[in-house]
Amino acid sequence: MKILVLVSQTQDTEAKIQVSSSGDSIDTGGMKWIMNPYDEFAVEEAIQTKEKHGGEVVIISVGPDRVLETIRQALAMGADSAVQIKGDSFAETDSFTVGKVIGGEIKKLGDFDIVFTGMKIIDEESGQVGVQVAEELGIPHVSLVSKVIQVDPAGKKAVCQKEIDGGHVTVEVPLPCLITCPDAMNEPRYASLPGIMKAKKKPLTVVNAEDLNLEELGLSAQALGKEGARVKTTQIKVPEIERKLTIIKGSDEPMVKGEEVERSAEELIKLLREEAKVI
Amino acid sequence: MSNEVWVVADLKIDGSVRKVTFEALSEAGNKVAGKLGGKLCGVLIGSGVSGHAAELGKYGAEKVYVVDNDLLKDFNTEGYTIALSELIKKHEPAVVIGGNTVFGQDYFPRVAARVGAGVTMDAISIDISEQNTLKIERFSHSSKAIPTQVFHQNYPMMTTVRPNSFKAVENPKDPEIVEGGVEINPADIKTKVIELQTKESDRPELTEAERVISGGRGLGSEENFKYIYQLADILGAAAGATRAAVDAGYCPYDMQVGQTGKAVSPNLYIAIAISGSVQHFAGMGSSKVIVAINKDPDAPIFQKCDYGIVGDLFDVLPPFTEKVRSLIAEG
Ligand SMILES: Cc1cc2nc3c(=O)[nH]c(=O)nc-3n(C[C@H](O)[C@H](O)[C@H](O)COP(=O)(O)OP(=O)(O)OC[C@H]3O[C@@H](n4cnc5c(N)ncnc54)[C@H](O)[C@@H]3O)c2cc1C
Ligand SMILES: Cc1cc2nc3c(=O)[nH]c(=O)nc-3n(C[C@H](O)[C@H](O)[C@H](O)COP(=O)(O)OP(=O)(O)OC[C@H]3O[C@@H](n4cnc5c(N)ncnc54)[C@H](O)[C@@H]3O)c2cc1C
Repeated sequence: MKILVLVSQTQDTEAKIQVSSSGDSIDTGGMKWIMNPYDEFAVEEAIQTKEKHGGEVVIISVGPDRVLETIRQALAMGADSAVQIKGDSFAETDSFTVGKVIGGEIKKLGDFDIVFTGMKIIDEESGQVGVQVAEELGIPHVSLVSKVIQVDPAGKKAVCQKEIDGGHVTVEVPLPCLITCPDAMNEPRYASLPGIMKAKKKPLTVVNAEDLNLEELGLSAQALGKEGARVKTTQIKVPEIERKLTIIKGSDEPMVKGEEVERSAEELIKLLREEAKVI
Repeated sequence: MSNEVWVVADLKIDGSVRKVTFEALSEAGNKVAGKLGGKLCGVLIGSGVSGHAAELGKYGAEKVYVVDNDLLKDFNTEGYTIALSELIKKHEPAVVIGGNTVFGQDYFPRVAARVGAGVTMDAISIDISEQNTLKIERFSHSSKAIPTQVFHQNYPMMTTVRPNSFKAVENPKDPEIVEGGVEINPADIKTKVIELQTKESDRPELTEAERVISGGRGLGSEENFKYIYQLADILGAAAGATRAAVDAGYCPYDMQVGQTGKAVSPNLYIAIAISGSVQHFAGMGSSKVIVAINKDPDAPIFQKCDYGIVGDLFDVLPPFTEKVRSLIAEG
């Protein structure tokens, strides 16, 4: 089987967020870049599929050279080769264009069976690229798959389970298809030391953004970068919800104990009823 | 292009219209259609859905487009994508809005790619920019940032909206019904639903609920989650959980609230034995009132909640639940 994985790099959102002086972007100076956590699930699912059915796993990543670190991590986990679509100054290219560009490169790779992607990037949180790549490729997609139940390369189909509000569905989808991965579908493996050593020797193809044939993709010459974006970020604010911070504690130690327990319950209910008016 | 503003109805498994549809109609009527001078329209896609047109009218839809087709019985990406894309190509609306539900997330980006539209997901405000285009706000960076995003003059402009972000206000209209006239070929539907399991639950859906009671790892077992369910049922609330509780097997994944679970913004969120991680807050940080019960006074949640008790849940919750029960019984 030929299995493709779209892997993106993201800012570690554990970090403190600071708006840049221009007011319309996040200051990334000093921020840590990591593999997008959902893409780790995608890589793991791809490797498990390869382990069951044989074949190869190809990583595709768009971005500047810092993404090489993430690509190497995926290769060290067990992927076989990678394609980097390299562009340094197109940070705010919209998802629509990213989808077209990735789709265009995939078409050049020849036949494939499955594309795995994350459900969204945890910094921008657009949640569109995967599904839009499927559209560009003209193949079906199943989004937010909680479990890949079966992949049948000979019968050219896959069976997946997906959580929906109020239940879950099991769907059968013909191959080739694209699957987007949410949380908790598997446990991504760590890269082993031998894996890390081997990753260095695995094939990497670099495609320069300047060499992309935008016209062929149906994109305008300005499509890459902020100017061509269909949607632009004009301002970013950091939400500041003032919380009341009314915390009921015990008198001797922080925890309420003994009689204080009943009293604290009563006090909380009073606050919720009279001050917050929510019960 | 017309200057119509469309709200696509989001349907539940049982075929009823989800609340987010009415919220979107109300907000779009005030903030978008009004300012664009366009007609507010509803869109119904499914099987046996025509009957819902009056409900959309109740919340301000002056016109309702209907694609009613047996092939659209259970939600399927391909059928819905064809239906909405073809409708858009035929009638050229200015704005198309849907709910950011599992369904909206599945096919809105695909429709946008097909019709060449710009799309944003999970908006928490919708408005019109100085350039007369759609302008939205949403959360990013694990809900630590709120970007304002303005659409380019490229039509249609599409977005999904987060449930519970707007008030649904009645504004009765008698909508004109327009048959969509979209053909769907059975061969176009490649993904087949082979099993649909619905969960029987009297509790409201997490994303729609006015109140949410959630439990964390500190509950310690599946058995102990009964404390969460009891309080939830007394308050008519939905029950949620952290990823740590889900991973430990105390409850199913569909209860997970957070960055990788559901995004909720109820009036009241009670977090029991939850430390208050960034990822959990990404899904509930916009709740109006946050209450925490935790035995660790240094738990991060105590720095970002409205009310809290430092105490052992097994001590505090039983009397709290009892008192709430008698209070509610008194009315
Ligand atoms: C030629 C080019 C150059 C670029 N250069 C830069 C740059 O220098 N700096 C910068 O910050 N951004 C750059 N970008 C854009 C950026 O890399 C992201 O692709 C973009 O932010 C999309 O994010 P999203 O929020 O729409 O992703 P989402 O829709 O939330 O992502 C969903 C999933 O799609 C896949 N995916 C998304 N983006 C990528 C990607 N880039 N590569 C592989 N898979 C992906 C992942 O599986 C991800 O989980 C560039 C884009 C292009 C086309
Ligand atoms: C990529 C990524 C995505 C994630 N997505 C999510 C997500 O969507 N949702 C999510 O919730 N998490 C998510 N997480 C996990 C998150 O980082 C935290 O690990 C998780 O939220 C912790 O859950 P918790 O608060 O239940 O557990 P803990 O952090 O272990 O906290 C348990 C709390 O219970 C208290 N406690 C214990 N016993 C008692 C008692 N008897 N009475 C009162 N209090 C008690 C303790 O003091 C402690 O504060 C994600 C993590 C990553 C890396």
